[in-house]
Amino acid sequence: MEPGRSSGGGSGNSGTFTPEIAETLRFEEEIQSLMRDGSPAATGSSFTALLGLPASQAVELLHDPGDINHRSATGFPLGFSPTFPSNTALVERAARFSVFAAAAAGESPLVSNSGGHTAWPKPEPADSDSGELLQRPAKRRAADRSKTKASAKRVKSGEMGTGKPTETGEKLPYVHVRARRGQATDSHSLAERARREKINARMKLLQELVPGCSKISGTALVLDEIINHVQSLQRQVELLSMRLAAVNPRIDFTGLDSFLPPECGRGAIGNETSLWLEGVGLGPGERGQHIWHTDLMQQQQQQQPQQHDFIGSAGTSLFPCNPSDQAPPLRSNQLKTEL
Amino acid sequence: MLASASIEAGSTSGKKQRTGSPNQAQIKWRTGAQERIYNRRLIEALRAARGAARPGAHAVKEAADSALALTARGQSRWSRAILTSRLRRRKLLVKAVGRIRRRRRSPVPSKRDPAAMKVGRVVPGCRSLPAPTLLEEAADYVAALEMQVKAMRALADALSSARIASPESEAAES
Repeated sequence: MEPGRSSGGGSGNSGTFTPEIAETLRFEEEIQSLMRDGSPAATGSSFTALLGLPASQAVELLHDPGDINHRSATGFPLGFSPTFPSNTALVERAARFSVFAAAAAGESPLVSNSGGHTAWPKPEPADSDSGELLQRPAKRRAADRSKTKASAKRVKSGEMGTGKPTETGEKLPYVHVRARRGQATDSHSLAERARREKINARMKLLQELVPGCSKISGTALVLDEIINHVQSLQRQVELLSMRLAAVNPRIDFTGLDSFLPPECGRGAIGNETSLWLEGVGLGPGERGQHIWHTDLMQQQQQQQPQQHDFIGSAGTSLFPCNPSDQAPPLRSNQLKTEL
Repeated sequence: MLASASIEAGSTSGKKQRTGSPNQAQIKWRTGAQERIYNRRLIEALRAARGAARPGAHAVKEAADSALALTARGQSRWSRAILTSRLRRRKLLVKAVGRIRRRRRSPVPSKRDPAAMKVGRVVPGCRSLPAPTLLEEAADYVAALEMQVKAMRALADALSSARIASPESEAAES
């Protein structure tokens, strides 16, 4: 991901950074050559032996934030020492980096330090030891990218942001969430962004649910539309309930289910149906209600045990009249689906 | 239950789209099985409501809503809110709980979007909720309401047509 990010960073920052990109490459080569030259005391993980004396100066430079800030080309608001609070090895490494920059470019170490670090948009894909050092600029770049957004919150949390990119040499206790390009990388904003995305996803699906909402752009309008839709549905329910109340006393509900859209009649239950018909007092000649009768009994019987086991007394309060005089319940796969 | 329901309703209208939760709401409420379940519950509730209050348009509406909440099986907040608000025997308990809840319920827009609060007011039982939960509940509620309207409309049409039919047949028989 780092190469990908670096390529993005390179293309994005090409305006300001192209001269410095070349510098970066040069630095890398120099670093590698230095390493190859090596010193007898060089270990795999530190450049201390290579540098010897200048390291202390570099560390001093690093620990002098005021100076750095004063001279920083792109307005690095933070000194470097706060960014690496716990890891002096990192600080030293960064120092060496700056020393390299100074040595190679002949500029003042501070300017090249800040400029170089802000300039290095790509962490060159980590090859061996230079990879470690180059991860410093990766960190800087991340912090730097967050700072270019120029928001106070991000500036403050830029220190934390340096921990974000996954790096090989350092173990930081952060959740390694990959920040997208051009966005802040601290944990707060990442969590917020995740939350926002969740909300937006839900909103999008709601939009699809409510007709006519996909065209509207803007959260508030969509919400208003959703609210209108819900209110209109509730009004429709009230109207229909009034209609049903008007119709109710006249007609006894018997076999209504088969009448309703999703289903069309299961097999008639025969005797029970006729019993029902007689019990309700309706003649077999009535076409409408006859259709109703076929399924309701069967399904009613099925409903009894279900309600008992899943709502208990609530069920009885809703359905006080249990048609207990009917045939024993018939099980079907519908019953299983409900359970 | 959902899996078997969709298997059983596979021939009908099981909409299988993406796996976002609001689309699960759509899927859930549009299967033929759910409609059948709701119809049954609705009819039973209506029959019960007939005994209760004769002119009760309110009773019918409440019965329908309770039936809807039952069909939701208490898996969503609004359904639980509807059911707990309807229980008369437990009204005292609910009121006590409601008081406690009201104390805790402060309009804190910390995680709550003030614009989304209006949605919370419309959906029962979702007054102050964080935004993602609220939107989920709203999606489920919208899907359920659509099913309810569809079922009730079909029922009302059936009943009214039967009403029209029965006097005619009675006249024909006699």
